[in-house]
Amino acid sequence: MTLGKTKTKEEVIEALHSVAAEMHDKMLKGKPPAMTLPVRTKKNIQFDKKLQVYKYGKNKSTRDATALGSARVLLRSLHITEFIEDMIESGKSSTLREMYYISEGWGNGKFGTQNESNNLAEDLEIVTKCIREDFKLRPEEDGARIIGNVTFEEKNRKGEWMRINCRDDVGDSGYGVPYNVESEKLRLVEHDIDFVMAVETGGMFDRLVENGFDEEARCAIIHLKGQPARSTRRIMKRMSDEWKKPILVFADCDPWSFRIFASIAYGAIKTAHISEYLATNEAIYLGITADDILAYDLPSDDLTKSDLGALESELSDPRFATGWWKEQINLMQEIGKKAEQQSLAKYGLDFVTDTYLPEKLAALGLKY
Amino acid sequence: MNKAEEISSKQKQIAVSEFFEKNKHFLGFDSLQRSIITAVKESVDNSLDACEEARILPNIHVELNKQKGDKIEFVTQDNGPGIPRNAIEDVFGKFLLGSRFHAIRQTRGQQGIGITGVVMYSQLTTGSKTHVISKVKQESSAVIVELGLDTRKNKAIKTGERREVWIDKNTGKEIEQGLRIRTIMKGKYQKGKQSVHQYLRMTSIVNPHASISLIVRDKDGNIIDQGNWPRTTERLPRVVSEIRPHPHGIHLGTLQRMLRESGERKMTSFLRHNFSGVSMRAAREILGKAKIDEGREPKRIKADDAQEMLNAFQKVKLLSPPMDCLSPIDDLLIKKGLSKAIDSRFASTVTRNPSVSQGNPFQIEVGLVFGGDLGADGPIEVLRFANRVPLMYQQGGCLLTKALESVDWKRYGLEHPGGRGVPKGPAALLIHLASTNVQFTSEAKEAVAENEEVHEEIRKALLEVGRGLKNHLKKSSQRKKAKEKFELVNIILPEIAKKSSEILARPEPDLAPVITQIMNAVFCEEVLDWDKERKIATCSIKIYNYTARARAYTILAKWPENEDTAMVDNDRGGRKETKGIWAWRLDTLNPGTCTTIKFGVSGLTKGDWVDTDIFFRGNGEIIGATRIDESLLDEIRKSEALIIAEKEIIKESNNLEPLIDRAEESVQKDISTTILESKEGQLSLSEWEVE
Repeated sequence: MTLGKTKTKEEVIEALHSVAAEMHDKMLKGKPPAMTLPVRTKKNIQFDKKLQVYKYGKNKSTRDATALGSARVLLRSLHITEFIEDMIESGKSSTLREMYYISEGWGNGKFGTQNESNNLAEDLEIVTKCIREDFKLRPEEDGARIIGNVTFEEKNRKGEWMRINCRDDVGDSGYGVPYNVESEKLRLVEHDIDFVMAVETGGMFDRLVENGFDEEARCAIIHLKGQPARSTRRIMKRMSDEWKKPILVFADCDPWSFRIFASIAYGAIKTAHISEYLATNEAIYLGITADDILAYDLPSDDLTKSDLGALESELSDPRFATGWWKEQINLMQEIGKKAEQQSLAKYGLDFVTDTYLPEKLAALGLKY
Repeated sequence: MNKAEEISSKQKQIAVSEFFEKNKHFLGFDSLQRSIITAVKESVDNSLDACEEARILPNIHVELNKQKGDKIEFVTQDNGPGIPRNAIEDVFGKFLLGSRFHAIRQTRGQQGIGITGVVMYSQLTTGSKTHVISKVKQESSAVIVELGLDTRKNKAIKTGERREVWIDKNTGKEIEQGLRIRTIMKGKYQKGKQSVHQYLRMTSIVNPHASISLIVRDKDGNIIDQGNWPRTTERLPRVVSEIRPHPHGIHLGTLQRMLRESGERKMTSFLRHNFSGVSMRAAREILGKAKIDEGREPKRIKADDAQEMLNAFQKVKLLSPPMDCLSPIDDLLIKKGLSKAIDSRFASTVTRNPSVSQGNPFQIEVGLVFGGDLGADGPIEVLRFANRVPLMYQQGGCLLTKALESVDWKRYGLEHPGGRGVPKGPAALLIHLASTNVQFTSEAKEAVAENEEVHEEIRKALLEVGRGLKNHLKKSSQRKKAKEKFELVNIILPEIAKKSSEILARPEPDLAPVITQIMNAVFCEEVLDWDKERKIATCSIKIYNYTARARAYTILAKWPENEDTAMVDNDRGGRKETKGIWAWRLDTLNPGTCTTIKFGVSGLTKGDWVDTDIFFRGNGEIIGATRIDESLLDEIRKSEALIIAEKEIIKESNNLEPLIDRAEESVQKDISTTILESKEGQLSLSEWEVE
């Protein structure tokens, strides 16, 4: 199972072996073992016009065993290879965190921090062109929650397909999105909605649910839980592709929320190798915008030093290079303010669903 | 008492207290915080000087107990020679007393206000008398006495004098000798850079032969601060001798008075017997240049001629004044002193050869410690000393600081923003100026005054420790790199080979060429250790050739060579390159092989030798060693030869001197006068300083 075309377990193992083979071949030639991969920094992401998302550029880096640090990484990737092979053979899977703890037994190949193991798993995805689902590695973070009149079929532990309507078959917390949302695990069956509303904070998600916004506005509401997990981004992408429904992002007005939107719409730096499967280019930033702070006279906070720094660095981020974003960021810098979604409660609990969202949606031509 | 007498005595009374009041700032009693430091300083300086003179290893204990209000009970006790009963009054009761005013040699206290100031200050601020217990070894009991000051007569008033056997409260044993002072004064105890604690800590660094302890208690008797600095050496500072003045430092008035008071018949003998550094040859040359007849009688020399002579002094090459009037701490002891007070990774110390400025011998010592517990941000700690006395105030205005600031520390691995001010980093720097005549900027004696020669000497010493630091930093980064490389090729690489072969089910590759490719260098690793049983410092140097070619090197190592040490267990032989540097020529080192040089050094104690430098001669770099700088080596050889030559000249001139004297005397046929002359020929510092 993969994004795009399915890889068999032999193909996955072969891809992993090619990493080990690159090292072994180098040593046979009397050279230090090495691993070649793209540079994974902001400087090396480019906008792919065909795919309409950001992807890694052409800059490659070679990690070879001439320094202790990179030699350790090479050794670790061999240990991971062996570990994944074992899991594939025995039909098991593990979380990234479990792998981090398992590495305790890898002697000199053990990880210093979990960040190291997460990064290396991503490196291997990139080098082998597999995804971590192929490696039987699961993320720690749980996926989003969804409420609305959409129906999925999910394969349960017994291997049976279960039909779930995200309005009628779930409680107030909604449908929990599993870590694997590919077609062999999850099917998008039917829906009766006009758009998908992705909400940054739990408080606002609950407010919209309590106010019955999903039925009133004919939408599915997704709680992003901060920076959205891969599966959250993937399911939004599928809803956009398969149901052709607009994805609207409703977040705080601060530089960190802008990044959440950017990762949904254009892809994240860390996952730029699979951007085309994760990024929903059609996603629209609904609010809260810097304009809204002024237009609705929202209670706001002063931008901190680190906020200002983040805004500044966003201006140099290709994902924010477009005119509209530049304007918003410049305006924010000018007024020096930020505001939370829930600041709308200034005008009462229903203001968001009765006034703010209808007005914002109307501006997009979505009336209800 | 008649009216006139009454008035005059009143005036006098006002004068003494007023003198103290008016001069509080330079006597060190201007603030409550400083007063307590000054009191401790005066008594500790006295104890150290007394112990040094009596050749006793000092144990000094200071106790400060806060009382009601801003009063503090002040107690100090030493194991010094004590003060004889009949001298107590003078020592504690008279200003400006002290034998040190009459000799040219290096001593701690030069103020003369001394402990009398403490007695005075206590009396003025709290009315407290000063309680003294003094025990002289030869006497069977200690003298106990309470002292006050009669400000009218500038004299101590003794009360309650009695004799008792002095028992140590802790051990229950009789105290054989020592001095204990207790009084109550106004004061404020504070911690920090300018505190009693810091003063004692600094004192212990430059007096490694002293054991010093401090206890500070609050009103309720709880200990709020304490310090304990045990001695790190049993070696007392050497006895300093007194010297005659050097012509380069003399003023006209002094010269005239010396001429006037001279008993010599001839100018040549006058010059040779009243000054240091003047040989017969030099005396003749001076007189020739000043156009003064050698046979003239000193008493008859007029002002004009004296001025001519003064000018001639500067034109003639003279021997340096003898240096045994100085008492440097010695670089090894500075290292020990610093490392006991400051936990650090690296210590580098330099004791420069004595030098002369305006006829005054002086000597610079510098110590630098780096790393360890020292704070990395903020300026480095500067520890200034003049004649073993800590200077704690006016850091910015002091020559020692200015010299420090004139060095470009960035080149030596310290942060030095803008190349100005005190550098930053985890370091502490000690600067010690030993001199027969330390010139201060003011009477407060807290900052050393500008002096080009002293400045230059300090700079040179600083550059030397700076180079040491740079080497150390380079070496530790090289060592870290080398360690990583060793781990890489010896541990990680074989595991990569094994694991990848397992995964691919292939045979393991031969790693030798891979290792050569990764390392592509020759490595040198030295380990210094201490053989506890044999009391020998050992050094083991390992050289690995991880290149594809055979290599041939000469390896050179620095070792602490001096009169007390010897190289032992040096099975490889080799030869002495120069003082402190030994060389071994290695056989050809084939690719992938390793060889070891081992030797030991006797005559050291544990911890004396913890750091060395390894050099090499040959093609290709060695990581962990430095290519020997042949010109530097030459310089070392030359300066060594110079020292030997100098010593021989001094020996010769000493042998020659009596001969010349006798020749002269026989001509004059006035032997008895000459003997008399040389006895009176020594001039006292007090007179010399007046001008």
